[in-house]
Amino acid sequence: MVKIVKSTVMEAPVEAVWEVLRDFNGHDKWHPAVAESHVERGLPSDKIGCVRRFLLADGSELREQLLTLSDIDMAFTYCLLDTPIPLLNYVAHVRLIPVTDGDMTFWHWESRFDTPPGREAELEKQVGEKIYEGGFEAVRAYMGLAPRS
Amino acid sequence: MPRVFVSSVIDAPAAKVWERVRDFNGLPRWHPRIRESRIENGEPADKVGCVRDFNLQNGDRIRERLLGLSDYDLFCTYSILESPMPLTGYVATLRLTPITDGDRTFAEWTAEFDCEEAMADDLVAGIGTNVFQAGFDALKRHFAR
Repeated sequence: MVKIVKSTVMEAPVEAVWEVLRDFNGHDKWHPAVAESHVERGLPSDKIGCVRRFLLADGSELREQLLTLSDIDMAFTYCLLDTPIPLLNYVAHVRLIPVTDGDMTFWHWESRFDTPPGREAELEKQVGEKIYEGGFEAVRAYMGLAPRS
Repeated sequence: MPRVFVSSVIDAPAAKVWERVRDFNGLPRWHPRIRESRIENGEPADKVGCVRDFNLQNGDRIRERLLGLSDYDLFCTYSILESPMPLTGYVATLRLTPITDGDRTFAEWTAEFDCEEAMADDLVAGIGTNVFQAGFDALKRHFAR
Protein backbone atom coordinates (compact mmCIF):
# COMPACT_ATOMS: atom_id res chain seq x y z
CA MET A 1 0.00 0.00 0.00
CA VAL A 2 1.38 3.36 -1.05
CA LYS A 3 0.38 6.46 0.87
CA ILE A 4 0.91 9.89 -0.63
CA VAL A 5 0.49 13.18 1.18
CA LYS A 6 1.09 16.49 -0.55
CA SER A 7 0.16 19.88 0.82
CA THR A 8 0.66 23.51 0.07
CA VAL A 9 -0.48 26.99 0.98
CA MET A 10 -2.48 28.99 -1.56
CA GLU A 11 -2.30 32.76 -1.26
CA ALA A 12 -6.05 33.16 -1.62
CA PRO A 13 -9.04 32.98 0.74
CA VAL A 14 -10.34 29.48 1.37
CA GLU A 15 -13.75 30.26 -0.14
CA ALA A 16 -12.15 31.18 -3.46
CA VAL A 17 -10.06 27.99 -3.60
CA TRP A 18 -13.03 25.86 -2.60
CA GLU A 19 -15.14 27.40 -5.37
CA VAL A 20 -12.58 26.05 -7.86
CA LEU A 21 -12.07 22.62 -6.29
CA ARG A 22 -15.60 21.69 -5.25
CA ASP A 23 -16.78 21.20 -8.84
CA PHE A 24 -16.06 17.50 -9.32
CA ASN A 25 -16.66 18.03 -13.03
CA GLY A 26 -14.46 21.11 -13.35
CA HIS A 27 -10.95 19.73 -13.05
CA ASP A 28 -10.45 19.87 -16.82
CA LYS A 29 -10.55 23.65 -16.48
CA TRP A 30 -7.30 23.71 -14.57
CA HIS A 31 -5.45 20.37 -14.49
CA PRO A 32 -3.00 19.97 -17.38
CA ALA A 33 -3.35 16.17 -17.31
CA VAL A 34 -7.11 16.36 -17.98
CA ALA A 35 -8.31 17.29 -21.45
CA GLU A 36 -12.05 16.82 -20.94
CA SER A 37 -14.36 15.91 -18.08
CA HIS A 38 -17.98 14.95 -17.94
CA VAL A 39 -20.24 13.37 -15.37
CA GLU A 40 -21.98 10.20 -16.44
CA ARG A 41 -25.74 9.89 -16.78
CA GLY A 42 -26.19 13.65 -16.61
CA LEU A 43 -25.95 13.69 -12.83
CA PRO A 44 -25.06 16.91 -11.02
CA SER A 45 -21.37 16.99 -10.08
CA ASP A 46 -22.17 17.49 -6.40
CA LYS A 47 -24.35 14.39 -6.16
CA ILE A 48 -22.59 11.85 -4.00
CA GLY A 49 -21.92 8.72 -6.00
CA CYS A 50 -21.68 10.48 -9.35
CA VAL A 51 -18.96 9.28 -11.72
CA ARG A 52 -16.74 11.59 -13.71
CA ARG A 53 -15.06 10.45 -16.87
CA PHE A 54 -11.80 12.11 -17.79
CA LEU A 55 -10.27 12.15 -21.22
CA LEU A 56 -6.61 12.60 -20.37
CA ALA A 57 -4.18 14.72 -22.34
CA ASP A 58 -2.54 11.54 -23.68
CA GLY A 59 -5.85 10.27 -25.08
CA SER A 60 -6.57 7.62 -22.42
CA GLU A 61 -9.64 7.67 -20.19
CA LEU A 62 -10.26 7.25 -16.51
CA ARG A 63 -13.37 7.15 -14.34
CA GLU A 64 -13.63 8.34 -10.76
CA GLN A 65 -16.50 8.25 -8.29
CA LEU A 66 -17.35 10.96 -5.77
CA LEU A 67 -17.59 9.35 -2.32
CA THR A 68 -17.82 12.38 -0.03
CA LEU A 69 -18.35 16.09 -0.52
CA SER A 70 -18.61 18.52 2.37
CA ASP A 71 -19.07 22.27 2.05
CA ILE A 72 -18.74 22.72 5.81
CA ASP A 73 -15.41 20.90 5.97
CA MET A 74 -14.38 21.99 2.47
CA ALA A 75 -13.38 18.43 1.67
CA PHE A 76 -14.08 15.69 -0.83
CA THR A 77 -13.14 12.06 -1.28
CA TYR A 78 -13.10 10.05 -4.48
CA CYS A 79 -11.98 6.69 -5.77
CA LEU A 80 -10.74 5.41 -9.09
CA LEU A 81 -12.97 3.00 -10.97
CA ASP A 82 -11.16 2.56 -14.29
CA THR A 83 -7.69 3.80 -14.99
CA PRO A 84 -5.04 3.45 -17.67
CA ILE A 85 -2.30 3.50 -15.01
CA PRO A 86 -2.29 0.60 -12.55
CA LEU A 87 -3.46 2.30 -9.36
CA LEU A 88 -5.52 -0.25 -7.47
CA ASN A 89 -7.89 0.44 -4.58
CA TYR A 90 -7.12 4.12 -5.04
CA VAL A 91 -8.94 6.48 -2.65
CA ALA A 92 -8.00 10.15 -2.38
CA HIS A 93 -8.97 12.92 0.02
CA VAL A 94 -8.79 16.64 -0.63
CA ARG A 95 -9.26 19.09 2.22
CA LEU A 96 -8.97 22.86 2.55
CA ILE A 97 -8.42 24.66 5.86
CA PRO A 98 -8.32 28.43 6.30
CA VAL A 99 -5.05 30.05 7.34
CA THR A 100 -6.54 32.81 9.49
CA ASP A 101 -3.16 34.49 9.91
CA GLY A 102 -2.97 36.00 6.40
CA ASP A 103 -6.30 34.91 4.85
CA MET A 104 -4.71 32.07 2.90
CA THR A 105 -5.59 28.42 2.36
CA PHE A 106 -3.94 25.19 3.49
CA TRP A 107 -4.58 22.52 0.83
CA HIS A 108 -4.06 18.90 1.83
CA TRP A 109 -4.27 16.12 -0.79
CA GLU A 110 -3.66 12.53 0.19
CA SER A 111 -4.32 9.08 -1.18
CA ARG A 112 -3.69 5.39 -0.65
CA PHE A 113 -3.43 2.76 -3.34
CA ASP A 114 -1.89 -0.55 -4.31
CA THR A 115 0.29 -1.12 -7.34
CA PRO A 116 1.66 -4.10 -9.20
CA PRO A 117 4.73 -5.39 -7.31
CA GLY A 118 7.84 -3.31 -7.86
CA ARG A 119 6.09 -0.24 -9.28
CA GLU A 120 5.40 1.50 -5.95
CA ALA A 121 8.12 4.15 -6.17
CA GLU A 122 7.49 4.99 -9.82
CA LEU A 123 3.74 5.42 -9.37
CA GLU A 124 4.13 7.28 -6.08
CA LYS A 125 6.35 9.79 -7.86
CA GLN A 126 4.03 10.07 -10.84
CA VAL A 127 0.89 10.70 -8.78
CA GLY A 128 2.59 12.90 -6.18
CA GLU A 129 4.44 15.12 -8.60
CA LYS A 130 2.42 15.16 -11.81
CA ILE A 131 -1.07 14.98 -10.38
CA TYR A 132 -0.88 16.61 -6.95
CA GLU A 133 2.02 19.06 -7.13
CA GLY A 134 1.15 19.73 -10.78
CA GLY A 135 -2.42 20.36 -9.65
CA PHE A 136 -1.31 22.89 -7.02
CA GLU A 137 0.58 24.88 -9.63
CA ALA A 138 -2.25 24.57 -12.15
CA VAL A 139 -4.82 25.97 -9.71
CA ARG A 140 -2.43 28.80 -8.88
CA ALA A 141 -2.20 29.64 -12.56
CA TYR A 142 -5.97 29.24 -13.07
CA MET A 143 -6.67 31.61 -10.15
CA GLY A 144 -4.07 34.11 -11.31
CA LEU A 145 -1.85 33.56 -8.27
CA ALA A 146 1.92 33.82 -8.39
CA PRO A 147 3.71 30.48 -8.86
CA ARG A 148 5.35 29.11 -5.73
CA SER A 149 9.00 30.12 -5.87
CA MET B 1 -21.06 26.89 21.86
CA PRO B 2 -18.41 29.55 21.10
CA ARG B 3 -15.49 28.33 19.04
CA VAL B 4 -12.05 29.82 18.52
CA PHE B 5 -10.06 28.92 15.42
CA VAL B 6 -6.65 30.39 14.63
CA SER B 7 -4.21 29.00 12.08
CA SER B 8 -0.86 29.99 10.71
CA VAL B 9 2.10 28.94 8.61
CA ILE B 10 5.46 28.50 10.34
CA ASP B 11 8.55 28.40 8.21
CA ALA B 12 10.14 25.30 9.77
CA PRO B 13 9.64 21.53 9.47
CA ALA B 14 6.75 20.20 11.58
CA ALA B 15 9.10 17.99 13.61
CA LYS B 16 11.07 21.06 14.70
CA VAL B 17 7.97 23.02 15.65
CA TRP B 18 6.58 20.00 17.48
CA GLU B 19 9.81 19.66 19.45
CA ARG B 20 9.21 23.19 20.70
CA VAL B 21 5.53 22.87 21.63
CA ARG B 22 5.03 19.24 22.70
CA ASP B 23 6.21 19.77 26.29
CA PHE B 24 2.99 20.35 28.24
CA ASN B 25 5.11 22.05 30.91
CA GLY B 26 7.09 24.11 28.41
CA LEU B 27 4.84 27.13 27.71
CA PRO B 28 7.20 29.62 29.44
CA ARG B 29 9.96 28.60 27.01
CA TRP B 30 8.01 29.51 23.89
CA HIS B 31 4.86 31.49 24.71
CA PRO B 32 5.53 35.13 25.63
CA ARG B 33 2.48 35.46 27.86
CA ILE B 34 3.40 32.62 30.20
CA ARG B 35 5.77 33.25 33.08
CA GLU B 36 6.11 29.95 34.90
CA SER B 37 4.63 26.49 34.83
CA ARG B 38 4.79 23.29 36.83
CA ILE B 39 3.19 19.87 36.60
CA GLU B 40 1.27 18.81 39.67
CA ASN B 41 2.20 15.76 41.74
CA GLY B 42 5.60 15.44 40.05
CA GLU B 43 4.12 13.64 37.06
CA PRO B 44 5.84 13.58 33.68
CA ALA B 45 4.56 16.29 31.32
CA ASP B 46 3.68 13.73 28.64
CA LYS B 47 1.56 11.58 30.92
CA VAL B 48 -1.99 11.96 29.65
CA GLY B 49 -4.11 13.21 32.53
CA CYS B 50 -1.36 15.31 34.12
CA VAL B 51 -2.21 18.85 35.25
CA ARG B 52 -0.16 21.96 34.54
CA ASP B 53 -0.40 24.91 36.89
CA PHE B 54 0.94 28.07 35.31
CA ASN B 55 1.00 31.84 35.68
CA LEU B 56 0.61 34.46 33.00
CA GLN B 57 2.88 37.51 32.94
CA ASN B 58 -0.01 39.47 34.51
CA GLY B 59 -0.12 37.05 37.44
CA ASP B 60 -3.30 35.21 36.45
CA ARG B 61 -3.19 31.54 37.36
CA ILE B 62 -4.55 28.75 35.16
CA ARG B 63 -4.69 24.99 35.69
CA GLU B 64 -5.14 22.71 32.69
CA ARG B 65 -5.37 18.97 32.21
CA LEU B 66 -3.69 17.11 29.35
CA LEU B 67 -6.39 15.09 27.57
CA GLY B 68 -4.51 13.82 24.54
CA LEU B 69 -1.02 13.97 23.09
CA SER B 70 0.17 12.41 19.84
CA ASP B 71 3.72 12.35 18.54
CA TYR B 72 2.34 10.65 15.42
CA ASP B 73 -0.44 13.10 14.55
CA LEU B 74 1.31 16.06 16.22
CA PHE B 75 -1.50 17.33 18.38
CA CYS B 76 -2.12 18.19 22.00
CA THR B 77 -5.61 18.47 23.55
CA TYR B 78 -6.27 19.91 26.98
CA SER B 79 -9.03 21.31 29.15
CA ILE B 80 -9.15 24.19 31.62
CA LEU B 81 -9.74 23.18 35.22
CA GLU B 82 -9.36 26.63 36.79
CA SER B 83 -8.92 30.09 35.33
CA PRO B 84 -10.01 33.69 35.91
CA MET B 85 -12.00 33.60 32.65
CA PRO B 86 -15.81 33.36 32.95
CA LEU B 87 -16.14 30.13 30.98
CA THR B 88 -16.72 26.43 31.52
CA GLY B 89 -16.18 23.25 29.55
CA TYR B 90 -13.13 24.66 27.77
CA VAL B 91 -11.34 22.13 25.55
CA ALA B 92 -8.57 23.18 23.16
CA THR B 93 -6.35 21.45 20.62
CA LEU B 94 -3.06 22.59 19.15
CA ARG B 95 -2.28 20.67 15.98
CA LEU B 96 0.59 20.74 13.50
CA THR B 97 0.48 19.39 9.94
CA PRO B 98 3.47 19.27 7.60
CA ILE B 99 3.26 21.39 4.46
CA THR B 100 5.12 19.18 2.01
CA ASP B 101 5.60 22.08 -0.40
CA GLY B 102 8.56 23.90 1.20
CA ASP B 103 8.86 21.68 4.31
CA ARG B 104 6.89 24.15 6.42
CA THR B 105 4.23 23.71 9.09
CA PHE B 106 0.51 24.42 9.13
CA ALA B 107 -0.44 25.14 12.75
CA GLU B 108 -4.04 25.15 14.00
CA TRP B 109 -5.26 26.04 17.46
CA THR B 110 -8.92 25.52 18.26
CA ALA B 111 -11.03 25.79 21.38
CA GLU B 112 -14.65 25.33 22.38
CA PHE B 113 -16.28 26.36 25.62
CA ASP B 114 -19.50 27.50 27.28
CA CYS B 115 -20.10 30.99 28.66
CA GLU B 116 -22.74 33.66 29.04
CA GLU B 117 -23.82 34.76 25.61
CA ALA B 118 -22.89 38.38 26.22
CA MET B 119 -19.30 37.38 27.01
CA ALA B 120 -18.76 35.12 24.02
CA ASP B 121 -17.39 37.58 21.46
CA ASP B 122 -14.87 39.09 23.87
CA LEU B 123 -13.68 35.69 25.05
CA VAL B 124 -13.31 34.35 21.51
CA ALA B 125 -11.38 37.45 20.42
CA GLY B 126 -9.22 37.54 23.55
CA ILE B 127 -8.24 33.87 23.46
CA GLY B 128 -7.73 33.94 19.69
CA THR B 129 -5.52 37.02 19.75
CA ASN B 130 -3.70 36.95 23.08
CA VAL B 131 -3.16 33.24 23.45
CA PHE B 132 -3.31 31.48 20.08
CA GLN B 133 -2.11 34.13 17.63
CA ALA B 134 0.45 35.43 20.14
CA GLY B 135 1.82 31.90 20.43
CA PHE B 136 2.03 31.48 16.66
CA ASP B 137 3.68 34.90 16.30
CA ALA B 138 6.33 33.83 18.81
CA LEU B 139 6.92 30.57 16.90
CA LYS B 140 7.17 32.48 13.62
CA ARG B 141 9.75 34.83 15.13
CA HIS B 142 11.72 31.94 16.61
CA PHE B 143 11.83 30.00 13.35
CA ALA B 144 12.28 32.96 10.97
CA ARG B 145 14.86 31.89 8.37
